[in-house]
Amino acid sequence: MTLLAIKDLIVRYGEIEAVHGLTLDVDEGQVVTLLGSNGAGKSTTLRAISGLIAPAAGDILFDGKSIAAHSPEAVVRMGISHVPEGRRVFPGLSVRENIMLGASNRSGGAGVLGREADEMFELFPDIRPFRDALGWTLSGGQQQMVAVARGLMAKPRLLLLDEPSLGLAPVIVQAVFRIISEIRRRGTTVLLVEQNARMGLSVADYGYVLESGRLALGGKPDELWGNEAIRAAYLGGGQAAARV
Amino acid sequence: MDIALQLLFTGIGIGAVYALVALGFVLIFRATNVVNFAQGEFSMVAAFLMVVCAVDLELPYWLSFLIALGGMALLGMIFNLGVYYPLRHRSFLPVIISTIGASIFLANATLALYGPQPQVLPGWFETPGIQVGPVYLDSQYLLIIAVTIVLVAFQYWFFEHTLIGKKLQATSQDKEMASLLGIPVARMIMITFIYSALIGGIAGILVAPVLFVSIQMGSSIALKAFAATIIGGFGDVAGAIIGGLALGIIETFGAAYISVPYKDGFAFLVLVLFLIFRPQGIFGERVAEKA
Repeated sequence: MTLLAIKDLIVRYGEIEAVHGLTLDVDEGQVVTLLGSNGAGKSTTLRAISGLIAPAAGDILFDGKSIAAHSPEAVVRMGISHVPEGRRVFPGLSVRENIMLGASNRSGGAGVLGREADEMFELFPDIRPFRDALGWTLSGGQQQMVAVARGLMAKPRLLLLDEPSLGLAPVIVQAVFRIISEIRRRGTTVLLVEQNARMGLSVADYGYVLESGRLALGGKPDELWGNEAIRAAYLGGGQAAARV
Repeated sequence: MDIALQLLFTGIGIGAVYALVALGFVLIFRATNVVNFAQGEFSMVAAFLMVVCAVDLELPYWLSFLIALGGMALLGMIFNLGVYYPLRHRSFLPVIISTIGASIFLANATLALYGPQPQVLPGWFETPGIQVGPVYLDSQYLLIIAVTIVLVAFQYWFFEHTLIGKKLQATSQDKEMASLLGIPVARMIMITFIYSALIGGIAGILVAPVLFVSIQMGSSIALKAFAATIIGGFGDVAGAIIGGLALGIIETFGAAYISVPYKDGFAFLVLVLFLIFRPQGIFGERVAEKA
């Protein structure tokens, strides 16, 4: 069943058109990966879904209902949680407080949310020792864990993950992708944006490749990965991927 | 020594007023990244509301106080909607100019409505004060210190121990991220403006019986409070309080031991020294951002 449908989406920043007529579907229960180089429009697509930027044209349907040009607050209340690029952990709040605030799209007192945040550490044992540390004191990998945990606190039906591997050491990247697999196993749909094509496809049920704001192609991970021409043109080539 | 204790008491009292106004600066700065140059006018307007209610209309003092607070909450709301909200997506400069405009408007509207004569607001208590050993404790200064302690304690509890306080902090640290989590950012900023207008107003009402109630009282308090926020480290709550108290004590001692006419000069001398030798203030750069 289609959970998210993007139809002929056009997004502009002022005069510059970042996404020109993008159409794609995300099925419920799957991990779908958006690949593409810098400036291909991947992050812009996620920002349009979560309401940070209003589309110039086209439509975004979530569970059959249009969410185009809804406010970010309204979108997250409908069940779409966006973990943006750069993690954006609140620097002056503790890890636990950061995670608790992830539930701001639903009601619940500090006591209930605090317990839920504590339960979240079972999925993210690496950050449990830092629960009272301020956000800015964490390493990049720890911040990424906090950002994903915070995104999950919204109990989303669809989780948008923007470049979770960016700037992280390979061993941390592995840990982050294990968590993405676990999130999928628990039944949450994930739309993942990645430049690291190999890791991005390793957890995906389906992949799309964006090029200059347009859909270049889509397919199952092994189809995308198996096609030598595609790999060379869009996925950074076999050599680059082999280094990961 | 006795005189020094007496001066310390007065200095803390006047410093507490600076601290409250400085808190207003800091809260709005953290929520909107903009210095609200009308923060001092909040104190002036509240003092005039007290004069209208308690002196002109002869209402009971406590009722006048409640009316003035209600008026300040309303002013904070209107200020947010009229001065900040339409410019919220612009850079900091248009917003700052907008707050300067609001400050000029509030001062001149008060002048047009009330005239240029300074007014006198009586203190809350009939008793002028009490003698404790060598020190005479003026009742209004005692009230100022007590209210400041209560407000600072309340604010600490509110920001550190309530969920809405955490949401306010999150909003002030990263508005876009806060909105992605479902935190109603516009409402959080509204609450910040109302709260800042209220503490600015309370500071004005508390200090009014010590000073004259005049159109200029806002800008003179705001300048000192602004200096206090810089000395404390801009954007730091504890710094605003320490900076305010330090400034009150320094200017009181300077006036007593060095020169009364240069009283205001001491505050700014300290400010200049800080700007030269420690521009980040006492508590500056405690929270740094990591890449």
